[in-house]
Amino acid sequence: MADKELKTLHQALIGSVSKGDYTSASRTLSSLKLALLTRNALLPTPSTPAPILLLAREVLEIGALTSIHQTDDAAFSRYYSQLQPFYEDHRLTTASPSPHRSKIVGLHLLLLLSKNDIADFHTTLENLEADMEKDPFVRHPIMLERWLMEGSYDKVWNATKSSQMPSEEYALFSQVLVGTIRNEIATCSEKAYASLPVSNAKNLLFLDSDGAVIKFAQEKGWEVRDGRVYFPVEESEKEALASGTIIENTIGYAHELEIIV
Amino acid sequence: MEDKQLDSEDVDMKDDSAPQKPIAIKKVGAGGDVEMEDGKASGNDGDDKKDEAKEDPIIVAINEIKDNFTLLERAVTLFDARFTLRVLRTISSLRRRLTPEILAKVIKETYPAEHPSVRRLEAVIKYDGAMEVESTEVTSKEGASGNVLPEVDIYIHLLAQIYLLDQKSLEEGAKFSTELVETIHLLNRRTLDSLAAKVYFYYARFHELLPSPTITSIRPQLLASLRTATLRKDIDTQATLITLLLRNYLLTSHITQADHLVSKTVFPESAANNLIARYQYYLGRIRAIQLDYTAAHNELVGAIRKAPQTAAAAGFVQAANKLNIIVELLMGDIPERSIFREPRLEKALHAYFLLVQAVRIGELDAFFDTLNTHAETFKKDGTYSLILRLRQNVIKTGIRMMSLSYSKISLRDICVRLRLDSEESAEYIVAKAIRDGVIEATLNHEKGYMQSKELLDVYATQEPQEAFHERIMFCMSLHNDSVKAMRFPMNQHRLELKNAQEARERERELAKEIQDGEIDDDDAGGEFEGL
Repeated sequence: MADKELKTLHQALIGSVSKGDYTSASRTLSSLKLALLTRNALLPTPSTPAPILLLAREVLEIGALTSIHQTDDAAFSRYYSQLQPFYEDHRLTTASPSPHRSKIVGLHLLLLLSKNDIADFHTTLENLEADMEKDPFVRHPIMLERWLMEGSYDKVWNATKSSQMPSEEYALFSQVLVGTIRNEIATCSEKAYASLPVSNAKNLLFLDSDGAVIKFAQEKGWEVRDGRVYFPVEESEKEALASGTIIENTIGYAHELEIIV
Repeated sequence: MEDKQLDSEDVDMKDDSAPQKPIAIKKVGAGGDVEMEDGKASGNDGDDKKDEAKEDPIIVAINEIKDNFTLLERAVTLFDARFTLRVLRTISSLRRRLTPEILAKVIKETYPAEHPSVRRLEAVIKYDGAMEVESTEVTSKEGASGNVLPEVDIYIHLLAQIYLLDQKSLEEGAKFSTELVETIHLLNRRTLDSLAAKVYFYYARFHELLPSPTITSIRPQLLASLRTATLRKDIDTQATLITLLLRNYLLTSHITQADHLVSKTVFPESAANNLIARYQYYLGRIRAIQLDYTAAHNELVGAIRKAPQTAAAAGFVQAANKLNIIVELLMGDIPERSIFREPRLEKALHAYFLLVQAVRIGELDAFFDTLNTHAETFKKDGTYSLILRLRQNVIKTGIRMMSLSYSKISLRDICVRLRLDSEESAEYIVAKAIRDGVIEATLNHEKGYMQSKELLDVYATQEPQEAFHERIMFCMSLHNDSVKAMRFPMNQHRLELKNAQEARERERELAKEIQDGEIDDDDAGGEFEGL
């Protein structure tokens, strides 16, 4: 009886996802999750039969992908955490490894990257098995991180073009990533160049037109004059700041000395 | 307090530890830092070695174990943990001599025949040799005493545990330890603490050596025991359990869980040095993975300094040094050359030495060569993924070298030198290096070159001051730590109080005399009025 209910709901879910109707999919998902919960299948326990757990895993995976399509980051993170015990359950992974696992993990990595949560990114990476890093879904965010870290922003820019993305879900992140690299390039340019011609700045920042450059420059507080962008010169406030720390340190030493003597 | 004494003993033992070396080296190969615990105290067999040769080794061993019982009893009556520690220190020397015969005899002579432990112990030792003859005589003597101290009971169990580990009867050992841990969990005796800590250590070791799902299965028990130990302020067990749990999480690379454990627990400050060293090592590992290199570096340096200097701990020191080298490289520092020259590190660190050389010159090719040839070593050490992050550091070093050698260099040349894919990439990378403060330079986009700024005089900046500050802070904390670690004789403060009392009395007398004399007082008053 309940099994049948699960099956029909599952079919409905697959149906709406394949049509791209994510609003109805998310509605089906919540009733499916309830059904799974009553059958004690939302967490893998040894007492629950394996087929139901596999079904639960698939439902959660679809849920994760759906939340990506709805750009609901928090929901995706929730699904991801819920999926973890399924991926770590030995019984399930050896019997039938999930075909979507690498995609989900890759998306999670990408999400962390877009939030600039590099510490978590590497922690997740450490958790992966060695052969997973060769998977195209996982490899993509890893390469992106490497390029971001060393500063090859042009490669990141190329990779964010939709043709380079391993799946459609990944493309949803490209907007965020482009924003990230543009900001990075902006801060780098402030330090590295004294001034830049507007047309060159347009290429460097991957902007579409000169007008966009001028708008961007205004947001950043840069000066645009005679077709060139002038970056503000750093003021040296260091001297003033230093005296504070010197006083603080010396008082600290005096305090410690007093304890010793 | 006790661990200070323990460590000094380790140092004293250096000269006569020669016969132990082969074992120590075997251990290093077997499991790196795990075995450090065994090296904690290299036994006190140096003194009585000569007498042993003449006597039957079995009898000597039995007598030694019996002597330990007396020590344990004294520990209970005097409530002094030092006696227990002394017992634990003999374990490593006893370990090599343990035979089923010795254990069986000890069991027979200690327990009354109907004691529940007897059956359990005999089941695992599997010795049923010619015992009957002596046993009648012995049971009549010892059996009368009736109850066995829990400390003695657990001590014998601990010996049995170690015996099983050496016999590689892992599954049996795991089962035996699980039961033993359950028993210990129910006992609440402070004199049992350090013994219990040892038992947990071997309990975790057994499960770790068994195939994969077992390792996670002991977590609930360890966590439950940790809660109990924390509530009872049982420092030894608490510290041991925290390190065991961290190790457990890290072995399955559950970094997040390990991090949560660290943030939710307080590691007891007064724990034994060896445990602190391990804790710091694991903490260093977690922080390194989380990219918090400065914190990782601090922890690792602490771990290396605190680790015992004996041969038995070489595995731990090597592991900690390997990780530390990588962390230093990731921070942009170059480790000191002298580390690689130390005799006990030289061989183990060879792969890392090549790596450091590659990073130092900033040669990407050499870096990848080393990485590929020694990939297995790095993977085994668990540093591979950290080393992969070094790529950007190699590039940065390369850029820095170029910025130092040329006052002006075209982006194309940089691109060729660093073997980058395009000039565009090179420009972005150099710009990032400038922003990150790796080099002092400016870029000229239209003409496509990098212009280095004139070198600043380091002594005109704040750098020397910061370096001095760091060193002063280190000396201060060293001083404070040493004061904290010192042992102060009991009741010494009473003597001081008495002295203070006397001094106060003297003062009062003096005051009285002054009052009696009155001249001084008057004088003082007069002068005052005069003013």
